Amino acid sequence: MTANLTAMYRQKLGYFRERAHTRSRFALTIFFFLTIALAPRPANGQTFTLSSAPFGIVLTPAGTNYSGSFGTLNALGIGTPAAGVTVIPLSNGALYLTTYRLTVSGLVGSHTAGVTGYVSTNFSHPAALVMESCPSTSACNTSGAFSTFSTNSATPTTVIAPPGIPNFTVTAGLAIFVPDNNGASAFAGTDSAQITLNMTNLTNNKPIGTVTISLNSPSETLQTAVKLTLATAPGGVTVTTAADYSMSFGNVNGLGIGPLAGLTTSSVAGGIIYSTPYLLQPAFTDFSFTTATLQVYASSNFAHPTILQMDDAAASGGPYTAISTSAGSPTQITTSAASRSPLTRYLGLLVSNINGVSAFTGADTAALTFTLTVP
Amino acid sequence: MKKYFALAMVGMLALATETMAATQAVNTATVAATLQISATVQKAVSLTLSTGTTGGISHCAVNAGAGPPDYTMDFGTVDALGINAGNCNKFGPTVPGTDNAIYWSDYTVTPIFTSHTVFAGTTVSAQVTTDFAAPHNIFVVRSSTATSSTTPVGLASFAALSTGSADTISAAGTTSGTALTRFIGVAVTPANGVTVLQGAQSATVTFTLTVQ
Repeated sequence: MTANLTAMYRQKLGYFRERAHTRSRFALTIFFFLTIALAPRPANGQTFTLSSAPFGIVLTPAGTNYSGSFGTLNALGIGTPAAGVTVIPLSNGALYLTTYRLTVSGLVGSHTAGVTGYVSTNFSHPAALVMESCPSTSACNTSGAFSTFSTNSATPTTVIAPPGIPNFTVTAGLAIFVPDNNGASAFAGTDSAQITLNMTNLTNNKPIGTVTISLNSPSETLQTAVKLTLATAPGGVTVTTAADYSMSFGNVNGLGIGPLAGLTTSSVAGGIIYSTPYLLQPAFTDFSFTTATLQVYASSNFAHPTILQMDDAAASGGPYTAISTSAGSPTQITTSAASRSPLTRYLGLLVSNINGVSAFTGADTAALTFTLTVP
Repeated sequence: MKKYFALAMVGMLALATETMAATQAVNTATVAATLQISATVQKAVSLTLSTGTTGGISHCAVNAGAGPPDYTMDFGTVDALGINAGNCNKFGPTVPGTDNAIYWSDYTVTPIFTSHTVFAGTTVSAQVTTDFAAPHNIFVVRSSTATSSTTPVGLASFAALSTGSADTISAAGTTSGTALTRFIGVAVTPANGVTVLQGAQSATVTFTLTVQ
């Protein structure tokens, strides 16, 4: 009796096991079909893929995501950008641009496809890094071809505009605008963003596919940057770019006879000052400070310092004061230099009118070192 | 091997704080730019004339000329009898019809020179380079002692300014920047004849500064 009960129990247990197994197989089958049905896949064999452009950044695919990086950036466009990136220094920042390819295939007949996109994950510091896009119809090699990439999926940026393209590969542009950004919103460090691109069959208005570009491999690195340039002031002596800059006062004498064009002479005790205006052009970005200090000293004085002396003045009429010859105590030009605000300054060359054994005639040179320091 | 690795890391860190060029840099708060200044110093000389300032006498103005001449001085209307007052000072003839009349003025000559290693023998000279026309019934005079700065007191205080060679009006040792007072005038002779000069006449005196 016990044995029979045991056999019956085992028989029922086997029944229930078999039944459960059958249900599991059924559920798996349903799940499989649902998975197939719901998975993103080309509509009617249409596909949307991205690829690196010949001179663009490397985009590494992983499924429908493509990762890459613009590398190291700064708002002055200083230095060599990462491979595949072109930098265009602008008056208010720098534009780092690259190109990439979009390919559509599987379209039937005369169907065409268009692409829109948006910044699906913006930089954490949107005041310092701004994504921009260039449509496929442009060469994407000038700053004017780029516009701010939408950060709103509801109002995306057009990448491939109507009427769209047939089965084809086109090139579009992607850029990061690094604006001048000093003060409270200044940022220097790493950041990343993601772009989402949607391709649509413009003939039947059905989606073809979605891909993303993740600019995180590695993350973009934004650096602080400083730059100091000298230039010719209107009506002044020419400043040429040679080691780093040079300026010739030409023939000078202790009487101020026949000054070079651009020079003004004024008589002072002991000689004549030949003076000229020139421009100091400081630029700095991504600093928490908005003003900087400009100093100058004669890093290499004239061989005949009793005959020739470099002077500095804030105004054409002076007063002119001797420029320091000590790196440790330079002559202060300003403590409130603003970025990208040219400063007109006056350089004076005092020529002694001394006669006698210590008098000197001939060529002489000196070097001034201007230092821009952002606190 | 560890040593090589450490060296490689040092190299990479150095690159991380790169400086692109002297006038621009990243990852730093300071940048320096150099400006090369060049000049060629030349010797220079200057000689200027100006209206005299001697006290107690009148001054004929020294005016800037059209270059040439550099300067002009006008003695006004003159005559051999000293009847006309002229523009500044005059000494009438001691014996009218025999002696000359002299119309004269002081003036200032200022030599300046710079960057000369040798200058102890520096002089200033004057010479009539374009004389009044013949028969020279009017001629240029200067202090009888050419280097004198003493105010003339009479006809004898003057002598003709040379026409064939330069008269030294400041001897060796002339210093730069020191204004010198000298006297110059025109003597009018009582000569008569068909060729004597009348009306406006002019002559040119050339002053020379020689730094030596």
